[in-house]
Amino acid sequence: MNNSLSLKTRREFLQGSLLAGSLSWTIPAFLSRTITTLHADPAAATMGRNILVLVQLAGGNDGLNTVVPFTNDHYYKARPNLGIRAPQVLKLNDEVGLHPALTGLKDLHASGQLAVWQGVGYPNPNRSHFRSTEIWQTASASEINEKHGWLGRYFDHACAGAEPTVGVSVGRQSPQSFAGPKPLGVSLEQPETYRFADTDPAQGNMASGESFYRHLNRPDMLDSGGEQNTGGTVGAVAGAFATQQSPLDFLERTALDAQVSSDRIRALNKSSLNRVPYPVSALSNQLKLVARLIGGGLPTRVFYVSQGGYDTHTNQSGSHDRLLGELGSAIKAFNEDIKAQGNLDRVMLMTFSEFGRRVKQNANGGTDHGAAAPLFMVGSKLRQGVHGMAPDLAPDNLKNGDLKFTTDFRSLYAGVIEQWLGAESKSILKWSGPAARIT
Amino acid sequence: MLRPLPNSQWGFASAAHLLNRAGFGGHPKEIHRLAALGLESAVDQLVHYDRHPDLTPAPEWTKPDSDRAKELRQFRDATPEERKELQKVRRRTEREQMTELRHWWLNRMVSSPHPLQEKLTLFWHGHFATSVQKVKDAYLMWKQNDLFRRQGAGEWLALLTEVAKDPAMLVWLDQGQSRKENPNENFAREVMELFTLGEGHYTERDVTEAARAFTGWAYERNDQSFVVRPRWHDSGTKTILGQSGNWAGDDVLKLVVSQPTAPAFITNRLWHFFVGNSPSDELGKALATEFIRHKQEIRPWLRTVFLSEEFYSTTVMRQQVKSPVFWVVNSARVLQRELPPAEATNNLLRLMGQELFAPPNVKGWDGGLAWITTNNLLTRYNSAEYLVSGENPLNYAANRSKKGPNQPRRLPLAGAVRLDSWLEEEDWVDPEHLLRTLEIRLFQTPLREKQRANVREYLASRTPLDTTDILHAIRLLMSTPDFQLT
Repeated sequence: MNNSLSLKTRREFLQGSLLAGSLSWTIPAFLSRTITTLHADPAAATMGRNILVLVQLAGGNDGLNTVVPFTNDHYYKARPNLGIRAPQVLKLNDEVGLHPALTGLKDLHASGQLAVWQGVGYPNPNRSHFRSTEIWQTASASEINEKHGWLGRYFDHACAGAEPTVGVSVGRQSPQSFAGPKPLGVSLEQPETYRFADTDPAQGNMASGESFYRHLNRPDMLDSGGEQNTGGTVGAVAGAFATQQSPLDFLERTALDAQVSSDRIRALNKSSLNRVPYPVSALSNQLKLVARLIGGGLPTRVFYVSQGGYDTHTNQSGSHDRLLGELGSAIKAFNEDIKAQGNLDRVMLMTFSEFGRRVKQNANGGTDHGAAAPLFMVGSKLRQGVHGMAPDLAPDNLKNGDLKFTTDFRSLYAGVIEQWLGAESKSILKWSGPAARIT
Repeated sequence: MLRPLPNSQWGFASAAHLLNRAGFGGHPKEIHRLAALGLESAVDQLVHYDRHPDLTPAPEWTKPDSDRAKELRQFRDATPEERKELQKVRRRTEREQMTELRHWWLNRMVSSPHPLQEKLTLFWHGHFATSVQKVKDAYLMWKQNDLFRRQGAGEWLALLTEVAKDPAMLVWLDQGQSRKENPNENFAREVMELFTLGEGHYTERDVTEAARAFTGWAYERNDQSFVVRPRWHDSGTKTILGQSGNWAGDDVLKLVVSQPTAPAFITNRLWHFFVGNSPSDELGKALATEFIRHKQEIRPWLRTVFLSEEFYSTTVMRQQVKSPVFWVVNSARVLQRELPPAEATNNLLRLMGQELFAPPNVKGWDGGLAWITTNNLLTRYNSAEYLVSGENPLNYAANRSKKGPNQPRRLPLAGAVRLDSWLEEEDWVDPEHLLRTLEIRLFQTPLREKQRANVREYLASRTPLDTTDILHAIRLLMSTPDFQLT
């Protein structure tokens, strides 16, 4: 053990301290695969593989003021103050156009990279932020409580043996959509702080404090008995970690994921740069980091970022303008950045929000929780344009003052899983409807 | 029915557990003292904190702003440039006051003679999750905090009613501006969904009707207080949860709390917070029955829980993920050190995911395993270094500002743990002794053998040990999965 304690690089860590003295069958699959491809170009592992970037608009984005039905009298009648006047709208066709702050998305529309899906929702909509977010994150029916997220289930079904960075959430929290029977995916706020900061470096024969940290954070099961096996390949079985995890199991797994992903991310963050200027906003910073990680070849299939503040019950117009302005300009910069990297064709971005808002404005210059709303997809390989049916705004055709959905969000998830991520969607989504054609 | 814990099972480990859950833990001497009292007296001492006053003074500015009406007028009459300036000044004051308030509360958690009172205050803060980011008034945030501290162990309906009329809540969920012409549903919804019943135990119609009943409960900005405005109130008949009448706000709260499923909702939440898991159906029923037996009063119900065998089960002890606030406060208590300076402490908590008075949304913090992500675990490990040595191991604090990441933000020096105040002489010369001292202090229980072997090896490689070596060892022990549990 003293020997391995002085080893510091990731490669040495993996070989020296994880493999030595471990039983092969207890090693998470991603580690065994990592050993064999250690010397390979990091980008090779993900070469040509498509990437999904998910943007959560938290709080319930007002769909009607995002994609505006500027010829519809019902719209202006329901929103005498909040309605966006036709001349200001950035027109997409003869009926709908974008909020004037979304110039970034309008440019992407012009370059044939924007898809607008109208009237997206689900049956028996729920107006609770939390329940509806849960429904979107787990792709469950309104009446069913599903614990695991749709992406967690995708990782589980289709990414066995992947590194923990197969899903990366930018921020401190892990989204429920990543939750799975065998948790995969990491969250990170900032590469510079995403590490165990060692203040007790190695001196002479003395091992560093960090090497002890690595040992103390190695799951028990990686230690349990067995003969030395320092060979290159170990026939690892995925899922050595129990499904029904105790809090300690969960912590150990997370600690190991943190160790491995921290080494990887810090290594590539140094060498990967943004190639275009970005606007100044929290969302923009998140997408900036995603672009660097993509450029650096992190083996990731799904990135997750979020923008909050969409719960506009009072004085909506100023804050909604700002939010959409930040959204459009950040996405545009990101798009240009990955284009400059040469990754444009394998990255798609999709927005979602837990619900749209009530058709009628409220008494406080805002809007209350609603139902169906449009969502955006951005990418050079997508089927661009305005898709799906615009919901009917006639008061008689609303349900409790809300729009009825015309496209089930699960048909879009199915489209993304099948046509973009290349997996079979039925068993992942547990949904039997048809997949939307997104590419 | 909850089974009482047999006296034979009371000892150091169970006393440590009680102090961890009913408070914020403590150092070995405190635990021994509690253990020596015996189970019942130990529980009573924690639960009946109202028998001895806590005289901690409130921050000096925690009173209504006597010039508020004038300020609001001034603001209304100001030019746009003047307004900007006024806003800037107000925001700065608010920021400074919030920093002070957070530290004031955290310090109470560290050194209060009533740890359970502060723990309950923290529970209610998470339950009624009100954020200063919308309320934007430090005085109102303090007032709500004080309400939780005063009423937190009292009768459920009385507490709920006072919270519903609490100015910060009126602003937070928009009740303060709801009028009969256009009732705002925000508070009416959350009171049922998040505070008392849970999703699925009311209808959309109940929400709209309750919103009508709550109209007229308003917020008076001029003197920062609750006010009833009869002209805003909808006095028509409403049907709420199957009952029709000319209901007003107080009636709704009574109706809601008297629903058959209401006791189980709140006792489940309390159990989850103090015990760390969800009760089985059978236990859940027993907890609700017990709550009804105690006339829906929190204090005697908690007493029964803390005396019960279920509370000390092996599936409960050392199985709860520490919340960031617990992590920081408990670390300060077991290391017998002061909290770092106010802004630095708040910065740590924000990075770990629990900034006080700023829950992420109306639902509060998810808690449990959700505290732990790869990011937050590394943040905890690095914060451990700061708490132990007083020096931030990273030159960067993650960005809060929009100006971009990588803004260097050096945390001020916080001072190292003073080992001489609690290490024994043998600890300096006998690594085995030191190991036992540290594990009991930090974990209140022996470590796993594998971990012990690692630490033993670390200590051996550093012998003869000096202060720095021991501080490093403490940081390493805190940088483990095990230390994240209590």
